[in-house]
Amino acid sequence: MKRPAFARGMWVVSGLLWLAAMGVGFALLTRHALTPGATQEAPPQWPQAAQPPRAEGRPTLVMLAHPRCPCTRASLGELAVVMEHARGRLDARVLFLRPEGTSGDWTQGPLWRAAAAIPGVRVLADEGGTQAHLFGAVTSGHSLLYDAEGRLRFSGGLTAARGHRGDNPGRDAVEALLREAGGSGGTSEHAVYGCALEEPPGVRATNTP
Amino acid sequence: MKLSEDVSGPTVALKERAVLLFREHLGAVRRRTDRLFAGLMLAQWAFGILVALFVAPYGWEGKDGAPHAHVYAALFLGAALTVFPIALARWRPGDAATRHGVALAQMLWSSLLIHLTGGRVETHFHVFVSLAFLALYRDPWVLLSATGATIADHIIRGFLWPESVYGVVDPEWWRFLEHAFWVGILDMVLLHAGRGMRREMREVAVRRAELELAREREEEKSAALDRALRELSGFQEHLIRVEKLAAVGQLAASVGHELRNPLAAVRNAHAYLSRRLSRDVIGAADDPRVPQFLGVMERELGACAKIISDLLDFARERPPALQPCPLRPLVDEAIGVVPPREGVRIINEVPESLPVPSLDKEQFRQVLVNLVQNAVEAMPTGRTGQVSVLAEGQDAGPWAIRVIDDGAGIPPDVLPKIFEPLFTTKTRGTGLGLAIVANMVQRHGGTISVRSEAGRGSEFHIHLPATAAAQAA
Repeated sequence: MKRPAFARGMWVVSGLLWLAAMGVGFALLTRHALTPGATQEAPPQWPQAAQPPRAEGRPTLVMLAHPRCPCTRASLGELAVVMEHARGRLDARVLFLRPEGTSGDWTQGPLWRAAAAIPGVRVLADEGGTQAHLFGAVTSGHSLLYDAEGRLRFSGGLTAARGHRGDNPGRDAVEALLREAGGSGGTSEHAVYGCALEEPPGVRATNTP
Repeated sequence: MKLSEDVSGPTVALKERAVLLFREHLGAVRRRTDRLFAGLMLAQWAFGILVALFVAPYGWEGKDGAPHAHVYAALFLGAALTVFPIALARWRPGDAATRHGVALAQMLWSSLLIHLTGGRVETHFHVFVSLAFLALYRDPWVLLSATGATIADHIIRGFLWPESVYGVVDPEWWRFLEHAFWVGILDMVLLHAGRGMRREMREVAVRRAELELAREREEEKSAALDRALRELSGFQEHLIRVEKLAAVGQLAASVGHELRNPLAAVRNAHAYLSRRLSRDVIGAADDPRVPQFLGVMERELGACAKIISDLLDFARERPPALQPCPLRPLVDEAIGVVPPREGVRIINEVPESLPVPSLDKEQFRQVLVNLVQNAVEAMPTGRTGQVSVLAEGQDAGPWAIRVIDDGAGIPPDVLPKIFEPLFTTKTRGTGLGLAIVANMVQRHGGTISVRSEAGRGSEFHIHLPATAAAQAA
């Protein structure tokens, strides 16, 4: 039996609308994944007030992380790759945010344990986000590399999208700087993909989860 | 030309039927695969939501958490991905558009799941599994649609966000070709398998068509056979009617013949008595021939009554009224009815201790009377002889009753006809006696047979089934 033309037309229109909806949906998803978090200017020299103090004579990498941000798992994975390639030449520490009014359990979750499992990485709690504020980090996964003289050489994220592991310019830049072994070039800056570490009105507007 | 029509006619019909069956089967397979994918879509939706909740349940701003964008994507984008192919499978099952819609949705599910798992390499295998599932449609064009969607996805994402599909930031421009090559290899394997499946389906369709054709032919033959049987049955009924009419005619002739002689004797006797009584009624009392003729009349009328009684016994189809019936007294009763004959001894050899069978007493007495009387009459005139009645049987076993004489025996040419109605070798007989016996034994579920040797006698053997004894127990 011949299907009525009207019904066929409805199916064709529905199919086209469905395809358009799929296109829009995947575009939004991609845009979300590729939208970086907010960044602020990092101190060009190692802040004296930073705790613990940097290791003298060695480059130091600091990652400010949110203990519950799902995107940060990818950042920690990339940090593990960096540490493996650095072969002990890098002093790294991950400072997990511990907001006021939260318990130790809130901070010391799976991400804390994942970071602690990376050889050569010290894991510390950032009480009230003071260290993040000191380093100018407002997005989880923000990493800063200071050279042996305490000069800022890298500021940004180690992933190329939210929650996605894999080769990316940030990690390549850090590894290149480590291979440089004491060069005096400028600072490399990269986008950071992760959750917001704090909630200033300006940050909230752009750093949606 | 007639020959070619005969040969090509069924062949063309067979091919057309095979094509129809193949299409029906393929349609059924594709509708079933549509339903499979409808279920698979729902399962993938649930899986996608679980993955989102497990991998990225919340996004955070400080200590404030809110459902992650992936959760919304799994819920709403997943719902949109699921609903449309399900609607196609529900309302347009088996359509080509449904298959292609399902293929497109399935490949988009691969993209979504890859995204929800953070681009894990392992999730890329979903693409290959999806292609394998889509091969169930046995439609190469569906694989082409799915492969086209995958290649398009690789090209677009390779341009916008190469890391999500290739794992590197700056891949070579031809990198999508490498992925397409491996997908193409899988397509080739699946196409080959699909072609094999379609070929098998065609072979099955041809065999089914042949089977149907053979069945139709068998049914035609069966119908022709039924028609022939009905015609044969009609002829048989006609023959039976004709035989019955012939039997009635023969019976009428036989009865007429048998009744004519006694009636003629009665008429002669009656005529004499009428004349004698009309001449001198008082003197007739002293005439010695009056009682003689009266005796003739009585005897001949008795013979007439016997003929008519035999006829009624043969014609009546009364089912036996079974009741426990001791055999030895029954044999004594039958022997008492048979007119004695000089020189012929009748012996009842039925044991006293014999179990009691269930029989119709009246019918079986008639059986025994006829057999014993025949045995007595079979004795040649002027010779002594003996008739014995024997019986044996057990509670649970079959029964045998034998009537044995040492008379003249039955000639071999006569033996096969003795149980036929109206067959007789006696000068005065209806030919119904043994026919009545056989009829009554059969009504009891038994059989009767005879063994005879010229000059040495005969033995009639009645065989009764075990049920007779069992019912009497």
